[in-house]
Amino acid sequence: MTKNILSIFTLSLLVVLTACKPKYEATTPVQGEMNPTRFVMIGSGHAGGYMDDALTYEGQTNSVANIIAEQLKTIGSGAFNQPYVSQSSMGVSLFGLSPFKLGYKTDCKNVTSLSPVRIAASGDLAVFNSNIYTASNKFGNFGIPGMKLLDVSNTAFANVNPFFNRMTSSTVASVLDNVMGVNPTFFSIFLGIEDVMDYAKSGGKNNNLPSTATFEIAYNNLVQVLTANGAKGVVATIPDVTKMPYFTTIPWNGLNLDSASNETLNNIYNPLNFFFEIGSNPFMIEDPAANDFGVRQILEGELLLLSVPLDSVKCNQMGVLFPLRTEFILTLAEISTLKNQIAAYNTIIKTIATQNNLALVETDKFAENLKDGFIYNGITMSAKFVSGGAYSLDGIHYNSKGNALLANEFIKAINKKYKSTIHQVNAGNYGATLFP
Amino acid sequence: MKYFIIYSMKQIYSFYLFLGLFLIPNVSYSQGFQVNFQGQKQQAMGCAGTALQTDGASLFFNPGASAFVKENSVNIATTPIFANVMYVDSATNDVYRTENPVGTPFSAYGLFQLKEDGKLKLGIAAYTPFGSTVQWEKNWIGRFAITRLELKAIFIQPTISYRISDKIGVGAGFVYSTGNVNLQKDIPVQFEDGSFAKAELAGKAQGFGYNLGVQINATDKLGIGLNFRSKVQMNLNDGEATFTVPSGLDPNFPDGKFVGGLPLPQVTTLGLSYKLNDKWAFVLDINHVAWKAYDTLAFDYELNTASLLDTKSPRNYKNIVAFRTGASYKVMKNLEVRFGGGYGLTPVQDGYVTPETPDGNRAYGTFGLGYELGKHFAIDASCYYTQITRADINQETNLSGTFTTKAIAAGIGFIYKW
Repeated sequence: MTKNILSIFTLSLLVVLTACKPKYEATTPVQGEMNPTRFVMIGSGHAGGYMDDALTYEGQTNSVANIIAEQLKTIGSGAFNQPYVSQSSMGVSLFGLSPFKLGYKTDCKNVTSLSPVRIAASGDLAVFNSNIYTASNKFGNFGIPGMKLLDVSNTAFANVNPFFNRMTSSTVASVLDNVMGVNPTFFSIFLGIEDVMDYAKSGGKNNNLPSTATFEIAYNNLVQVLTANGAKGVVATIPDVTKMPYFTTIPWNGLNLDSASNETLNNIYNPLNFFFEIGSNPFMIEDPAANDFGVRQILEGELLLLSVPLDSVKCNQMGVLFPLRTEFILTLAEISTLKNQIAAYNTIIKTIATQNNLALVETDKFAENLKDGFIYNGITMSAKFVSGGAYSLDGIHYNSKGNALLANEFIKAINKKYKSTIHQVNAGNYGATLFP
Repeated sequence: MKYFIIYSMKQIYSFYLFLGLFLIPNVSYSQGFQVNFQGQKQQAMGCAGTALQTDGASLFFNPGASAFVKENSVNIATTPIFANVMYVDSATNDVYRTENPVGTPFSAYGLFQLKEDGKLKLGIAAYTPFGSTVQWEKNWIGRFAITRLELKAIFIQPTISYRISDKIGVGAGFVYSTGNVNLQKDIPVQFEDGSFAKAELAGKAQGFGYNLGVQINATDKLGIGLNFRSKVQMNLNDGEATFTVPSGLDPNFPDGKFVGGLPLPQVTTLGLSYKLNDKWAFVLDINHVAWKAYDTLAFDYELNTASLLDTKSPRNYKNIVAFRTGASYKVMKNLEVRFGGGYGLTPVQDGYVTPETPDGNRAYGTFGLGYELGKHFAIDASCYYTQITRADINQETNLSGTFTTKAIAAGIGFIYKW
């Protein structure tokens, strides 16, 4: 009897155990009101996978364009070809340099600390040596490092941009010619960052921001060509570049003075009406309009660029006795110019999106959220350099994780507009800065 | 470098561990970590039985009822738990599962009288209400919240019961609790090979409490039990935090001690038992669990850095009630079949569901058998089954998805009485 009871019990237990694993009912993503068959993405390095100031195989694999394309494949998109650099290549920057990594650097004061360092004296220039276009496998990723909106229709662009030169069907073909060669059924545009980046990175020195009229005409033309055959698409606004770590990492008041240097500086600068105190102080900068000497203290809210030669600051009185040159600074006026211009471009982009019934990604909001910080599946993300987890070591381009988060924004926008149900990616599995 | 203020650090550790252990394994038991799983007879009858006076398990359920048990008895039982949790992420639709090893909690009771049919009973109870392991699959999406949580806890409860009259019995037990905790998670910083850093928190915790009960046998048929189990504050005072991080970040994540704690809430139960006739008996328990005590999960690290700050995570649990009921039927003189079920509200409010405690309102069903082998020996067996589904967006981690838990607990117990 006992035996029977036990065996009945054991049997019923086994039956129940098999039922003990929760069932997963997979949902199939649907394409909704769009046709993803042939997808192209047009943009700058931010779309194409440029990161750590270089184009690398890994960066391209984790490009916004490629992440979106991979997810589009789940709803019927075809092969997505990228102008890959070789997997064994270290990669190369727009100016021939090697990528950054996080390494140990010893400064002029003989202090060693973690810092972005180039992995080699030169980048892999061989990347630029050959053209890898093949007519049978046309590229879909036109995220070309350095490309501005105004470059897209330029038939001489291959002569100017080595990254485009290596992927174009012909040296006299424009990017748009190449794009239309794919006959895209769905497109993504993430342009405009490079149109303002030159101004921003030169500290406002290169005053070459396109007029809103020029911008509007170029954007409109691009969208008209792309939608002529009925293609749908997603367009992205321009993030506020001044929120990128390149512009926010060096503190305006990072001049730390001890008692002796405080006294020296006050002796020198008090006659000019600049005062210092022990502890943190604003750096001295050049400003021709400030006074007869053309120097002043930097104001709170003004930005020091990551291009500031830190060793000169630490050991050679730069930013102190020798004011920081204007090319290292975005003044309040320049910041205002930049922001207003970006806002105006974004208004144009949003209007064009509405007029042409396109999905819209507000990357400016994404950048704003990053600056405020948010938590993604237990990971704290922010716009801080290195520790923020989203920007690569160049302080301007996102890293793989940042790209994945941004690609999810594109996916959300597409789903919303076209009633598709493309799944997002788990950005937590994408890499950020690697630590030694 | 002021890197890595890690929010993920904020969530875990001893408390969590405890809680998680309590909750996840107890998915199979009952609501939260209110453990009514300490007697095979009760487990078979919907985990109700506060007003039962059958064997040593009443030392846990109601020390007042122990006063009415007629014999000396020794009682041991084990209840292997098979619990599987599935998480479907709402954004990616990716599915992740736990790889929960089988948990094997046990209970042991000794109930003795100084003279035959004496009014005074002495009892000793040992049980492992919180003992299990939750292991999420490799690289799961919530890895920065938790990858593994392991808890082993034993409660030891010496008890005195006294039968005031034929109708009223009272009892009181002192509870000493000791436990081990081990919690692991990934930290979102990467080694040069791309792998993620890890944190491990481990330690021993202790707590004290008491267990009071009154049994009123209103009539021959109707029994009323009242039980009050106090809050047990589990304190972890000497935890070890170990961080496996890239050497460049060693200064940010110093290995060291930490302090934490977890309140195991007070449980108040009203139980009824009703003997319809020689064959049928029914039980009903209504629990009130003062989960509100679990307000915050805090960790205090001995060595703080910009990356490793003390944390206080809101939990905001709410008090809950649970209803449990069951019946037994004597098939023949020495064989009894039992069945039951229950429904419990979850203490976890929206926004606070975690991978450690993917808790939700739950219904469950139970059944079991009891068989007596002669005058002195008896075997009891039980089986418990539940499924819980809970969708949530956690406010702290922003994990957004649906947890589905299926759990079976199958127990067997042996009694020797004399």
